[in-house]
Amino acid sequence: MKIDFTRSGGFAGMRSAVAIDTENLPSTESERLHRLVEEAGFFDLPAALKSTAPGGDRFQYRVKVEEGTRRKEIVADEAAVPERLRPLLDYLTGWARASQKRKTV
Amino acid sequence: MKEVDTDSNSHAACICPIYCIVPPHILKRIAEHGNANQKSWAFRTLAISEQARGQRQAVGLIAALATTSTGTKRRTVYDARNSSRLPGTIVRAEGGPKSKDPAVNEAYLGAGTTYDLYYKVFGRNSIDERGMRLDSTVHYGRDYDNAFWNGQQMVYGDGDGELFNRFTIAIDVIGHELTHGVTQYEAGLEYEDQPGALNESMSDVFGSLVKQYRRRQTAKNADWLIGKGLLASGVKGKALRSMKEPGTAYDDDLLGKDPQPGHMKDYVKTHDDNGGVHINSGIPNRAFYETAIRLGGYAWQKAGQIWYVALRDKLRPTSQFKDAAKATWMAARELYGNGSLELKAVQQGWSEVGIKV
Ligand SMILES: [Zn+2]
Repeated sequence: MKIDFTRSGGFAGMRSAVAIDTENLPSTESERLHRLVEEAGFFDLPAALKSTAPGGDRFQYRVKVEEGTRRKEIVADEAAVPERLRPLLDYLTGWARASQKRKTV
Repeated sequence: MKEVDTDSNSHAACICPIYCIVPPHILKRIAEHGNANQKSWAFRTLAISEQARGQRQAVGLIAALATTSTGTKRRTVYDARNSSRLPGTIVRAEGGPKSKDPAVNEAYLGAGTTYDLYYKVFGRNSIDERGMRLDSTVHYGRDYDNAFWNGQQMVYGDGDGELFNRFTIAIDVIGHELTHGVTQYEAGLEYEDQPGALNESMSDVFGSLVKQYRRRQTAKNADWLIGKGLLASGVKGKALRSMKEPGTAYDDDLLGKDPQPGHMKDYVKTHDDNGGVHINSGIPNRAFYETAIRLGGYAWQKAGQIWYVALRDKLRPTSQFKDAAKATWMAARELYGNGSLELKAVQQGWSEVGIKV
């Protein structure tokens, strides 16, 4: 499974991103990601999760997942993220930070 | 500083007989040039007479105004205790004792200074011009690297401590978030592309003015940085944005380089961040700085007044940068007249960033 993740916006307006191929991950991590994608019902989500409420400085997420013949990209406003998708986004946000750190090593 | 509630209340009470007599153009002059109290009274009277002309429940509105005391802050600070449930538990209410938690006191104080700037300088009665409560929540989420306005209240994260400190640490962040509320009630700028970048810029402009007002700094002495103190020690950067020199606020191995442009020729086209609303805001931000520095003195007195009138009366949900240039130019002409130095400064300010008025 391949995942492309970007978080942008927020007060700081900083972009953080990570690209993951679960083939290259230890099996526990790979299994965890597969499970989070399943639990999010990722392939059934609408392509755009837009918030219509007024506001400012929320994050914006862009996630692309490819698995076998399945392929899907979504864009989600933080305020419109469904509960079941949150754990996947939090997990990927952690990955994006960790990979940013690795750049400096 | 002493508040002046009683005075404005008595104005509100006798508002009907007066608004029937004072013609709108005089009210407008008072609204623009009077002291804070007169301004507020004139703004409200104008609002009422406009409502009355439209036959829209004028009586109910006057009754409501008579009970809403101008110049009264109604702040409440809540603690989310690291959850994402809003608003959380009340930890400090208006007039309540200081907390041991610095985030609580910063949120309380920052909301107060922002309220004061809007009320005393621009004659505005809170976020919605009708005395809206100022609600803030601190300790939102876990290691949450953000602050936001959710349409009803301000919300602050603690930061992760490694890249970001707590978001209440910089008073301009508080002014920024509260201004998102003002924009929501006035211009209603859409949160995407150029209107979104203008929305962001308005929040930076008034956020920076809140900081300058608090420190009594002139345009020349101000640092024009947004979010100074927010970056954790060890991060290479002085702040999150620079209105004076967009693109120079930080350059760090982890965070990358400040991506803000300061000129139209460098406008960033992107799908991220709702079309780069936190990126392209650098362009109108710098136009404000260039205007303010030409006018000298305290930036809130002239440049701030011009931008406020544009935000309140001229900008629309879909306004583009060139519309904002025109809006501020029109506001300056109304406030200071044709051929005024102020009008010229506005024109030059926008010209510096590649936008012709
Ligand atoms: Zn903002």
